[in-house]
Parts: sequence; structure tokens; C-alpha cells
Amino acid sequence: MNSAQIEIQLIASLVAIACAIPGTFLVLRKMAMISDAISHSILPGIVIGFFITHDLNSPLLIVLAALSGILTVVLVEYIQKTGLVKEDTAIGLVFPALFSVGVIMIAKNANDVHLDVDAVLLGELAFAPFDRLIINGMDVGPKSLWIIGVILLITLILLFAFFKELKVSTFDKGLATSLGFSPAIIHYGLMSVSSVTTVGAFDAVGAILVVALMIAPAAAAYLLTTDLKKMLMLSVCFGVFSAILGYWVAHWLDASIAGSITTTLGLLFLMVYLFAPSKGIIAVMYREKQQRAEVSLITFLLHLQNHNEVEERHVNHLREHINWQKVRATKVLELAKKNNMIHIENDVVSLTNKGETFTSKAIDYIITNKDAQIEDMKDDFFLFRG
Amino acid sequence: MELLEYIELVFTDYTLRTITLGTAILGAVTGMLGSFAVLRKQSLLGDAISHAALPGIAIAFLITGAKDTNTLLLGALVSGLIGTFWIRGIIKKTHLKSDTALGLILSLFFGFGMLLLTFIQKQPNANQAGLDKYLFGQAATLVESDVWLMTMVTGLCVIVLLLFWKEFKILLFDADYTKTLGFNTKTIDILITSFIVLAIVLGLQTVGVVLMSAMLLAPAAAARQWTNSLAKMVFLAAIFGAFSGVFGTAVSASQNNLSTGPVIVLVAAVFVIISFVFSPSRGLLFKQIRFIKNRRDLELNKTLAFMHQIAETHEDISHPHTIKILNNFQGYTKGTLQKLVDKGFVTLEGNMWSMTKKGYSTAANLYNQQTNDDE
Repeated sequence: MNSAQIEIQLIASLVAIACAIPGTFLVLRKMAMISDAISHSILPGIVIGFFITHDLNSPLLIVLAALSGILTVVLVEYIQKTGLVKEDTAIGLVFPALFSVGVIMIAKNANDVHLDVDAVLLGELAFAPFDRLIINGMDVGPKSLWIIGVILLITLILLFAFFKELKVSTFDKGLATSLGFSPAIIHYGLMSVSSVTTVGAFDAVGAILVVALMIAPAAAAYLLTTDLKKMLMLSVCFGVFSAILGYWVAHWLDASIAGSITTTLGLLFLMVYLFAPSKGIIAVMYREKQQRAEVSLITFLLHLQNHNEVEERHVNHLREHINWQKVRATKVLELAKKNNMIHIENDVVSLTNKGETFTSKAIDYIITNKDAQIEDMKDDFFLFRG
Repeated sequence: MELLEYIELVFTDYTLRTITLGTAILGAVTGMLGSFAVLRKQSLLGDAISHAALPGIAIAFLITGAKDTNTLLLGALVSGLIGTFWIRGIIKKTHLKSDTALGLILSLFFGFGMLLLTFIQKQPNANQAGLDKYLFGQAATLVESDVWLMTMVTGLCVIVLLLFWKEFKILLFDADYTKTLGFNTKTIDILITSFIVLAIVLGLQTVGVVLMSAMLLAPAAAARQWTNSLAKMVFLAAIFGAFSGVFGTAVSASQNNLSTGPVIVLVAAVFVIISFVFSPSRGLLFKQIRFIKNRRDLELNKTLAFMHQIAETHEDISHPHTIKILNNFQGYTKGTLQKLVDKGFVTLEGNMWSMTKKGYSTAANLYNQQTNDDE
């Protein structure tokens, strides 16, 4: 590993951390798409900044680009407030228009501007180490590293200073307002940080990867935990992990680093999406199946409780009476038997004492409570789950 | 270039004719289907799908090794559909919200597509150049067969829309009711979503991945301002879309170095702005005018009520008073006074005013009955 490679990985990791922090809050505040909008609409700001400074790394350019990002947010909110269209339509209208302006500005000046739309969207991390920051003739490292480092530092300071405010306003806007935190300031603060991060990172990793780095680690972390601090930590870890692994995949495939980091993130999210312990798709489907069986069981037990006639409780009759298919009926019957809720004599089913108690309690609970969550009761009575 | 000259050129020049026709048809079909996306609050779905289509293009190229438009678009269609259904899966099965799901699929698929594109660029295959035109689109590459394909898809869309019009409409406005009526909402939903994906994929070649969502949204958002009827909205959106295509092509053809996609999007954005401002019932301009008019009516009434208060204190209601005493009252201006005179509520004599009988009774009943004669 040579020093350029280390520097690239360092930059990628810093970008990942700087993106994961605002990204977590964007995901929690249901504003993930605004990061996509910002990442596109910074283009005119970048182009204008570039015309003035002729340097992609100058602070003025970053400020201008961040301003056009904030302009997007303001425009979206203005359009939304008129009530003419919904919020998502407003987002979808604003950013392509601003992006088009940027593309046209580049195209009209293509001859005297060394700026490429592809570069803005995709970035080129591989070249980042060659643009050095030189202070007093001393080489202190790549420029992008310094830029993203400063942005990350500011983000971290803001995060630690305003963690409580951010937390409260994210989960309970009303409470935050009544406690005296201005929701507008927090909102625009978060938007500004997102804009600045997007701008600071676009040069290194491109606008699209910024979106991926903001949303994907946070979304994956959200599937694993419901604790804000843990979620922040997890998304930072996911981001850094994908950044470094993605770099080596790109190295191996000889392809775009940004694309490869995004793909790694995608695979990571896919894994979490499938296998997360309680919120992953497999766990959810298993639980749904379990609950279906258990609801059937309770229906079945209720039926038994309501009928004393022998013909109503005959094994074969049950199938046509409750209108279940054979497989399901057998499964429910077995589940009930395994849990000692019923006993079967000459193909006639009757409730045991335990079954009787459970059914009465369950029906009581369901009638008196709005959310029919009888999970605790199930734990008490069930030896085997559905 | 003169306007007439340009119009003549549209009919005679093969390239220009193809592009104009292509963008017009594209605008019409995306406008039509976009109406449904906007009304279903799925505006950003188009953005996600168009980005999600990119890996499909790259994979189709990797498999066939040829740059045949139809194969590539087929790949885009498949990967767009996969993206769409994954988004639905995420929203339905986990507690992640729709915006997160959209952003995730959008960025992850696009990044994967970029990985494949850069990977392809490194391959020793001379054929690969030009795949990146799908990023921003290049209307100039449209040929007659592409236009035919678009026409066919548009025709299919129109037929399906007409066939299932009732179902689409009822699903749009009351999904639960649709279910209770016994319609298979899932099938209708999948049908309309698939057509939206199809329209987006068709547009990739012309306006590109990044700007496709605006083609879907802008005409529909503009059309929404002019009408409350779905049929009219779909029709208007198709027209707005088609005109955006034609005007956009014209503008970009008349200048050097102007790519068609962004210009079309900007023209569509102009349609949206005009609709937002000038639409008679919802537009900002008329809303403001109505607002001002209402305020004036209120102030006129306030002045009248104030005069009534003064007149009440005298036995003779038409006892003259000086105009001066109105001066420290907010609602009073020379204009409003003149208006009251025109209505016959007061009479003026020099710098004295006096209330008429009509004015007195109107003022007395100002706030306990509905008067229909506004301003």
C-alpha cells in the first residue's frame, strides 16, 4: 500500500463519516430525498463559483455551491407552502430545473471551462491525492483531505453541541418548540450542514455517492437499532467499512471508486435488509407467518369454547365450518395440541382447562384493549410458537 | 434562424423532424402517465426509477456486447422494474419510510450502474463508446425506428388507459373503496406502475437518467393547476409535455452547444411557473387579487359601519358631518368614500358627508345578513 492509496482511503472514510451524521437525521426526519435534490442542484453554484475562481477547491466555490443547495430547500418549501403541489412534487420540480441550468451553463462555456458534468456527478477519488495543499512551500497533504476534514470537524462540533436539540426536534417537534428550540433554526442548520457536506464531498466522490453515503448507512443502521446514539455509531461504521472495502474492490476491478463504494453499500444494505434480527425481511416474514398461525389458533379455540355440540367439534367438520384448507387446519390442530390447549377423543375436539383459561383471557384482553397485542399472554401460555 | 425558416426545416430535415417528433411524443406520454404519478404522491418514484435503470443498460451491454437501443432499453426496463418492486418491498415490510427507500434505491442502483460503466470502459471493446449518453441523454441520436417504438408504446398506453380508465381513476382517489368493490387493486397498481417505468425508460435516450423525473412531473404539475378533472388533467399534461418537447428541441437546435434534455426540462419548468402564477382558480396571481379584493370589501364595510355609528347619535340620519372626522379612521380613503357615494350609501356636499336612508339600513344590517353586492 503506497501513500496515495492510504490517502484515498482516508479521504473516503472521512467523507463517509461526514455524510453518515447528517444522513442519520435526514432519514429519521423523513427528508432523505432532499439530499438527492441538494446533490443535483449544487451544480449551478459550482459552475458559477468555478467561473469566478477557476479552482474546484476554492472556499468561495464551496460557499456558493452550498448556497445553491440551501436555495433548493427554500424553493421547495416555498412551493410547498403555496399548496399548489405536494412536497415530493415540489422537490421533483426544483432540482431538475436547477440542474438543467447548471448543465446548460457548462455546455455554453464548454470551450473555456475545464469542468465536466460527469466529474461533478461522479467525482474522481483516484486523482484526489495529486491535488496537494501547499502552505509556505510545505506539502501538508491533499486538498480534499483538508476540506472534508474541516467539514467533518465542524459537523462533529455542531453534533456534540446540539445533540439534545437535534434529538428532541427529530422525534417530537411539538415538544421541541414548546421547550423553546426554534424548529426553523435546527431545520436550516441541518440543511446547511448537508449542503456543505455534499459540496465538500462532491469533488472527491461525486454527488451521487454523497446521497448513497448519507442514506444507505443510516437506513441499514435504522433496521438494526432504535437508539439514536447506536444508530449514529452504526452508520458511521457501515460508511467507513464500505468506503475501505469499496476502494479495494475498485482497485481489483479497475473501475470507478465511487461506483464501487456505492455497490458495497448496496450489498451491505441488502444483507441487513434480509437478515436484520427483528426488522429484516426474513424475520418479518417469519413473524407474519407465526402470527397468522396464532390468530387462526385463537379463532379455533374461540369456536370450540362457543360450541358444546359434538358435531360442531368434530375434526372433519372444523375444516368446512371455519372454512380452512386442509393443511392449515392440520397445522392449527397440531399447534393447539402441542400447547396442551385441546385434547382429542374419537375425533372430537374439546378444550383442556388450560385452553379454556387462555381463550377467556385472550378474548377479554382483545375486547378491552384497542391494540390487540397479546404477545405477553402468548409467552405465558405457549410452549411452542406458530 | 427565422421562425418560418425553422418550421420549414422541421418538415424537410430528417434529423430535426425525427427529434422534434420524438421529443413531442415522449413529452405527451410522460405527461399522461406523470399525471398519475403526481396524483398518487409518487412524484419522486420517477427519479428513482430512471436512476435505477442505469445498471440494466450496462448489464444488457455486457451480455450482448452490442449497442442496440432496444436491447439496452429492455435491460433498463428490467432493472427499473426490479428497483420499483424493491422500493415497494422496503416500504411495505420494514419501518423505513418511502423517502428513504427511494433515495436508497436511486443512489445504490446508480452507483452500481456507474461501477459497471467504468468497468465496461476499461474493456477492450471498441463498441463501448457512447454508453454514457444515457446519463444526460442525446436527442440527436434518435432515429426513425426509435420514434416508431415511442409511438407504439404511446399507442399502447392510450389503449390501456382507455380500457382501464375507471379502475385507474377510482384507485387513484379511493383505494379502500376500490378494494371493497372487488377490484384487484394490486394488479391495477402494478399495471400503472409498470407503464410509468416503461415511459421513463423510453425517455432515457432523449433526456437521460438525471433529468427524466422532471419530464414526468413538470407537465402534470402544470396541468393540475388548470383543472380538477382527471381526464382534462391527463389531456392537458400530454399537451404541455408535447409542447415542451417541441419548443425545447427548437431552442436547442437554434443555438450551438445546447443539449436538448436540459432545455426541454427548462421549457417544462416555464410551463409550470406560468401555471402556478396565472391559473385562474389556483394560481398565485389571482389568489392575491382575490385576497386584495376581499380586504377592500372588508375595509369598505368598516368605513360604512363607522359612519353608521356616527349617524346613530343624531336624530336625523342624514345630518351632515365633515369628512375630517373620518381621517383618524383606518379604513377611510378618498377612493372608498367615492365608492360609497357611487353605491348611493352616502351623499357628498363640499367637504361634508351625510348618510342616505339606504346606506343607513345597509350599515345597520351589515353583519347580520348576507349582502350579495360585493364591491
